[in-house]
Amino acid sequence: MNRIILDVDSAGDDILAILFALGRPDIALEGVTSVTGAAGGIEQVTDVVLNTLSLAGRDDVPVAKGAWRPIVGNSKQDMEAPVHFEKRLKDRFGERLKGFNPPAPKPARPAMEGHAVDFIVETVRAAPGEISLVATGPQTNIAMALRCAPDLAEKVRQIVVLGGCFRTPGNITPVSEYNIWADPEAARIVLRSGAPVVLVPLDVCEDNRVAASMLTRDDLNDLATLYPDSAVVRYVCETFPIYIDIWREFFGLVGFPLDDAIAVASVTHPGFFDMSEPLFVDVALHERLVRGQTVAFRGHQILSFDGPRTTRICRNLDGGAFLTLFKGAIGGLA
Amino acid sequence: MSPTPVLMDCDPGHDDAIALVMAHRSPDIDLVGVTTVCGNATLERTTTNARRILEFIGATETPIAAGCVEPLARPLVLGTADGPSGLDGTPDLPEASMPVHALHAVDFIAQVLQAADGPVTLVPTGPLTNIGLFLLKYPHLKDRIERIVLMGGAFYRRSEYITPTEFNIFCDPEAANIVVNSGIDVTMVGLDVTMHVLVEEPQFAELRKIGTPLGKVVLDWLAFYEKLHRGIMGVGGALHDPLALAVVIDPSLIETRPAHIAIDLTGTHTFGATVADFWNERGEDANVKVATGVDADRFFDLLYELLRG
Repeated sequence: MNRIILDVDSAGDDILAILFALGRPDIALEGVTSVTGAAGGIEQVTDVVLNTLSLAGRDDVPVAKGAWRPIVGNSKQDMEAPVHFEKRLKDRFGERLKGFNPPAPKPARPAMEGHAVDFIVETVRAAPGEISLVATGPQTNIAMALRCAPDLAEKVRQIVVLGGCFRTPGNITPVSEYNIWADPEAARIVLRSGAPVVLVPLDVCEDNRVAASMLTRDDLNDLATLYPDSAVVRYVCETFPIYIDIWREFFGLVGFPLDDAIAVASVTHPGFFDMSEPLFVDVALHERLVRGQTVAFRGHQILSFDGPRTTRICRNLDGGAFLTLFKGAIGGLA
Repeated sequence: MSPTPVLMDCDPGHDDAIALVMAHRSPDIDLVGVTTVCGNATLERTTTNARRILEFIGATETPIAAGCVEPLARPLVLGTADGPSGLDGTPDLPEASMPVHALHAVDFIAQVLQAADGPVTLVPTGPLTNIGLFLLKYPHLKDRIERIVLMGGAFYRRSEYITPTEFNIFCDPEAANIVVNSGIDVTMVGLDVTMHVLVEEPQFAELRKIGTPLGKVVLDWLAFYEKLHRGIMGVGGALHDPLALAVVIDPSLIETRPAHIAIDLTGTHTFGATVADFWNERGEDANVKVATGVDADRFFDLLYELLRG
């Protein structure tokens, strides 16, 4: 059994990652923690998590609210860029865009009392070597947890980070992926912590090289046909056509990339991936042009940089095998 | 007037030590807690030092919690002014035996703020790692902080350190950035004023007159502490941290000027610089009050009085 804490920022693929984890019999979802990121402020992010769990009938899964801001972040103007991007989408998609990252209705239950950082620290300390942290938003919570409890690095089974890019262009700048860019200082803390890290970069999610892993309208039709009685499937089929259309039109991908669900699959099905040997991976911090760029130390260079060789980078993915697994897990939910 | 509840976040450090003594002995201050951070020395040492000081002055009822072992986002750089132990040259202090609180400093601060009857004043005299992390984790408790009076920054005056930066901000500029932009009432007691409260021969003479065991330990501290100042800068020891604490007792000791402070996080030789905009050129509201002047004589009078009393 794979015991997982999901740390999410509640964009579309985060929602699907939660549902995917719930649908996998080989995953015990210990809890979901929220972090400010792609879907907006911490209240919205947390409410989306609570509503997603309710949809799947899993109000028993603990939810803890996390960081309200990154450690440093970026200029206000740059941070708001995704909002302006949404306005551009509105010109193209009009009313249909209302289904894209909508304001969350009030959840049926509140999040738990404690902070996400405390939930993470307590859960990991209670089961040393067993818990996989899967961070699919900015790594602010994980970094804070490592600063509050440095022993976390040796007690966690692994930290899976959805973030970074190497051969595939970035999605927030040409060299930077959003999650790392949104809190690069936090990413650096995680990558230098000494904890075993699996880095799931855009190369295995947002690249047509792994097109077979992406969600298309055909896949939604399959799901609707195979699982006509599932409320979760009904929700997915109603919600995600607009996501598929946006990612096809604006990002040139063949479907909606399931980044965060892929990150979850790296825990249960590492065999689907081609992973590097453990490397030192660092993050560029200081120039807007390259802030958030992930730099992996491989090959042979003259200058040396010191850092722990603890990060395995996912280089390729059996997209078809993943998508089959994904659809089966979603379809199995009531 | 009832005493001001104060939580000190420190990295003792000889000057932190004197600030702790003043806080404990002042009738105007209720020292509700002490938290420690790495800076002048490692966390382990600053925590041990804080406990030794509190035990020596009979403040064993004051709870103490240990905080961060390294800055938020940078490698640890230790200070050099206080010797490797952080409190060299003090043979008369007892070994530490009082307990350290089970909570991390960040969570301890939250607990103290929630338990207090009213807002609490924070006096950070080390790198701002604990306070920055506290504000990241507990934004909703911000309103329970009356004000922050911190030792840090250099504005008109340049530091003698390896950057034009004051040490506490240099150590953890990312944390300082969170603190100055928190919206809390922040007073920065920086090198512009603290380098005017120097212990020279007249001050040593007054301190020698006190003649108590406490007075002797303070003299021991200052004898060691002035080595770096005298040897490198050619002046007596600057009482950086005690001045920040004294401002809580008597705000009239300093003059302040509101300004918008930007903290340089990226400069090659200037990271940690506190770049003040006194003329609103950036078009941003003032986020701190910068200490620009100090009445050093009255500060020392207060110090002597608290050591004697």
